[in-house]
Amino acid sequence: MQNGRWSLMAGAMAVLALALWGTNPPPTRANGDMHEEKGGHAHVPAPLEYADVHVPLSVWTDPMMIARGKEIYTVRCAVCHGDQGDGKGPAGLALPLKPPDFRDKDGVAEMRDNYWFWRVSEGGQVEPFKSKGSAMPPWKGELSVEDRWAVMAYQHTYSGHSGPHVPWEHPDSVAMGRDIYAMACIPCHGVAGKGDGSVGPMLAPRRAPQPRDFTGAQFKFRSTPSGQLPTSGDLFRTITEGVRSGGGPMTIGLRGHRIMPAFRHMPVEQRLEVLEYVKTFNRGFWDRVDVQTVTVPTPPAMTPERLARGKQLYADAECLACHGDRGRGDGPSAPTLKDNRELAIAAADLTQPQRFKNGDRPQDVYRTLMTGLSGTPMPSYADSLEPDQAWDLAYFVLSLSVSHGRQARTADR
Amino acid sequence: MLERSFASVAMAAALVGSAVGIALVASPRVPPAEGVPAFARQYDLQCNACHTRPPRLNRFGEQFHMTGFQIPSAARPDGLLGSLKDDGPVKTLIDSLALRIEGGLFEYTESPRATETKLAPPDEITLFVARPLLPDLSIFVEIEGEPNAVAFEKGRCFTRGQVGLGKEAFFMLNLGGLLGALGAPTMEMGGQTMVGKHGGFSMHGPMLMAGKVDPSTNFSYATNRQLIAPTELEVEHGEVERLPVVPYAFTSKFFGLFKNRDAREPQLVTDQVMYNAPGAPGADFHAMINDVLLTQVGFLSENEGFNTYGALRLDLLDRRELTASVSAFFNWGFGVVRAPDPEDLEHPGGARLDRMRYGVAANVRWRELDVYGGVIWDRLYGLPGELGRAFDRTAAGLTFEVDYLAHEKVLLSGRFDQLWAGGLKEQKRDGSVLSLQVKFYPWQNVAFFVRDSVNLRGFVEDSPLRNWRNQFFIGIDWDF
Repeated sequence: MQNGRWSLMAGAMAVLALALWGTNPPPTRANGDMHEEKGGHAHVPAPLEYADVHVPLSVWTDPMMIARGKEIYTVRCAVCHGDQGDGKGPAGLALPLKPPDFRDKDGVAEMRDNYWFWRVSEGGQVEPFKSKGSAMPPWKGELSVEDRWAVMAYQHTYSGHSGPHVPWEHPDSVAMGRDIYAMACIPCHGVAGKGDGSVGPMLAPRRAPQPRDFTGAQFKFRSTPSGQLPTSGDLFRTITEGVRSGGGPMTIGLRGHRIMPAFRHMPVEQRLEVLEYVKTFNRGFWDRVDVQTVTVPTPPAMTPERLARGKQLYADAECLACHGDRGRGDGPSAPTLKDNRELAIAAADLTQPQRFKNGDRPQDVYRTLMTGLSGTPMPSYADSLEPDQAWDLAYFVLSLSVSHGRQARTADR
Repeated sequence: MLERSFASVAMAAALVGSAVGIALVASPRVPPAEGVPAFARQYDLQCNACHTRPPRLNRFGEQFHMTGFQIPSAARPDGLLGSLKDDGPVKTLIDSLALRIEGGLFEYTESPRATETKLAPPDEITLFVARPLLPDLSIFVEIEGEPNAVAFEKGRCFTRGQVGLGKEAFFMLNLGGLLGALGAPTMEMGGQTMVGKHGGFSMHGPMLMAGKVDPSTNFSYATNRQLIAPTELEVEHGEVERLPVVPYAFTSKFFGLFKNRDAREPQLVTDQVMYNAPGAPGADFHAMINDVLLTQVGFLSENEGFNTYGALRLDLLDRRELTASVSAFFNWGFGVVRAPDPEDLEHPGGARLDRMRYGVAANVRWRELDVYGGVIWDRLYGLPGELGRAFDRTAAGLTFEVDYLAHEKVLLSGRFDQLWAGGLKEQKRDGSVLSLQVKFYPWQNVAFFVRDSVNLRGFVEDSPLRNWRNQFFIGIDWDF
C-alpha cells in the first residue's frame, strides 16, 4: 500500500515533468552565450580544411607584418570595416550583415586564428555567413597566405591585445571545447591532457594502450609522416571513431568493442571544438607552417599476384617477427615489445581486423604502413616501400583474417 | 577467543593467497572475449571503459551514469528511434537487455555451535532493461528473481521465491531544458541541454531520477556497486539465524526496531537504509556544477514514513593518475521506524521514530589502487519515555575498502566494517568484520570470486550478528 502510494506520486511527477519539458523546449545554441552572435557573426569552428592553418606566433607582433597588413587593409578592407576597424566603413553601413568591430576585444578574443583565416580566405561565400547575406569577398585568390596573415595581424591591433592571438592568451576561444573535454575526456586524458587521468591504469594495468598524452610528440593515429603531429582531420577521425581494442566481455551481438568511445553522435561542430581544445595542450600545432600528409592513392584492385607479392613482403619486411607467420600477433619478438612509456605492448592480431585501432579498410592499413604508429614499435615503411608495394602488403595483411581472407580467396579464383 | 580469530584470519589469508596463485596461473590461458554485454553493447565499448571492474564505476562510468546512461556530450540525437532505424528492432532489443547472475557456488560457515558447508548454485537472477529513449530521457529497470528471498509475516520470517521489480526501476530526465524554458541560460552539449554558459557557470542537469531509485551511485562510497557482495540473511524456524555481512556504515544500526506494525516486520540492524535499500520509491534530483561539485536532493519512501536527503560530492584532481572525491550527506527520516512496545519488546509499539542521519565519505584512486570509505552517524527522535533507559538512540558505522588491480584479470579487495550499534541495550552488539576477496575476471563481464569474512569480535551464541567466526564463499558474478 505504501509502495503503491509512492509509486503513484513518482508517476505523477514523471507525467508533470514530461509535460513541462515537452511543452516549450527552449531554443539552444551550440555555442552557448560565449559564442553569441555579434552583429550576426557566429563564431563557428573553422572547417577541417582550414583547421590546421595556424598563424605563426611571431606574425602577430612583427612590426613589418603589421605595416604590410595596414597597407592592404587600407586599400581593400577599410571601405567596409572602417578606418578605425569599427565596422563602420561607408560601404559597410548598408550591408545586411554588418562588418564586425575589431575594437571589441571580447569578440576578437573568441575568434580563433584558423577561423579568422578561413573568413578572410573564403569571405561570405560559405555558410553560415552566405545565408546571412554576407558581402565579404573571398581574398584567397588575390592575397597570398602571408598577406592574409598580415591583414589579420593589423586587424588584431585594433583589439588592444599586444601578444600573439592564441588560445592560451584567449582561453575563451576554446571555452566550449574545454567544457566538453571536462565532461567526456578528463577521466582518461587528465586535466592537463597528459594522458594521466585515473581511468587509464585500470583499463590496462601496467601495459599499453594507455590514454594519449597530448602534450607529447607521439601520436599514433596520423596521416602525417612518422614523428610529426597529426592533422586536425586525424584528431577528428579518432574522436569520431574512438579506439578499438582487443579483449573485452563475453556476450552476443558483438560489433566490435572500443577502449575509447566513438563520439560520432556528438555534433560535428562540437567535435571540432573539442579538437581545437585538445590542440592547445601542444604548442607544436602552432609551430608548424606547412602540414605534410601521406597521400593515400585510390586502392587498386586486389589480385592473386598482389597477394603473392604481399606475402613475400610480409616476410622480407620482418612483419612476422612481431605479428607471427599467421598474423596472430604471436611472433618471436612479440613478448618483448615495449611502447615509448616502457610499457609492454601487444603486437596487433592481424586476423582480427575489426580490432585495428587505425581502421580496417585497405586505405587505413596503407596509411598505417606508411605512417607507422608513433610511440609503438610499429615503424613507418614510407622510406622502404613503394606505394604499389604498400598496397600489396596491405591486401595481404587483410587477407590474413577470416572475413577478408574469404574475399582474397574469391579474388584468387 | 582472540586466538581463534587470528586462526581464522590466517586461514582466510591462506585461501586468498591460493586463489590469487590459481588465478594468476590460469589467466593467460583464457581466450579473448567474443562480445560486449548490456550497456557496452549499445556503445561498442569494453566493460572496463566505465567500470574499474564490474560493478564498480570509474570516473568515466560515473559521468556516463550521471548523464542518463549516455556517452557524455555525445547523446544519440534521435534516441531509441535512431537505434531502431540503424540497428533494427532485434539488435535494439538485445542491446536494451542485460542479465546478471550472481551467487555462491560454495559456502562454508565456521561456528562453534554449528559449522555449515554447502553447495549453493547461483540463484539471484536480475534482468535489466536499460536504454536512453531520447537524448534527455532514459530508463533503467531491474526485474529480479530470487528463489530464496526472506519474507516476514506476523513477526515470523521464512523463505519463499520472489519475482518482481528489483532495487531500481526508474526513469532519468534531464531538466536542463525545463530550466531553460523558465528563463535560465542554456547551452547544447552533445544533444543534451546544459544550464549555464561556456567559460562560466555550468550545470549538467538537474537530472530527475524517479521511480524506485537508489541515490548511492553519486556518493563517494557507492554501496550499490559493491565488489564484496552482501552475504545472505539466514533464517531458520521462523527466526533470524544469522545477519548478513554488509557495509555496516550504511545499515540501520539499531537493535529492536520494527518497520511496520501490522506485519511486525523487524528493522534488522544490518538492513541497508537509504543507500542500497531494497526498492525505495521516490525522486532524486542531482546536478553537476562546473564539473567538480555534484549536488543531490531527494526523497524516498521508507517503511511507514519517508526520507528526505541532500548530498554534496566534490571531485578533485584527475591528474598524475590520481583522482579523489569527498562527499557529505544529511538525511532526515520522518517516522521511518517503529519503536518496540515498552510493555512487550517483541512487538512494535505505537511510536514512529524520526531518524537523523549524516555522514561523510571519501574516495582516492591512484593507478591500480582504489580506496574508499565512509562514516555515518544515526540518531533517533521520538522515543517513548518508558524506553529511555533501555534504549540507546545513537549509533554509528564505519566501512572502509581497498581494491587493488593486481593483474588485468585479478582484483584483490579488502573491506573492514565496524558497527557501533544502538537500540535495545540488552540486545545490542557491536560488530567488526574483515572481508578479503579475490575476484578473477576471465572475461570483463564474468567474475569468479573467493571471499572470506572474519568476525573480529568475540563469538556470541545468541547474537545473529556475531554467532559465527568465519564465512568462506566461492561464487560467480556474471553480467550478460
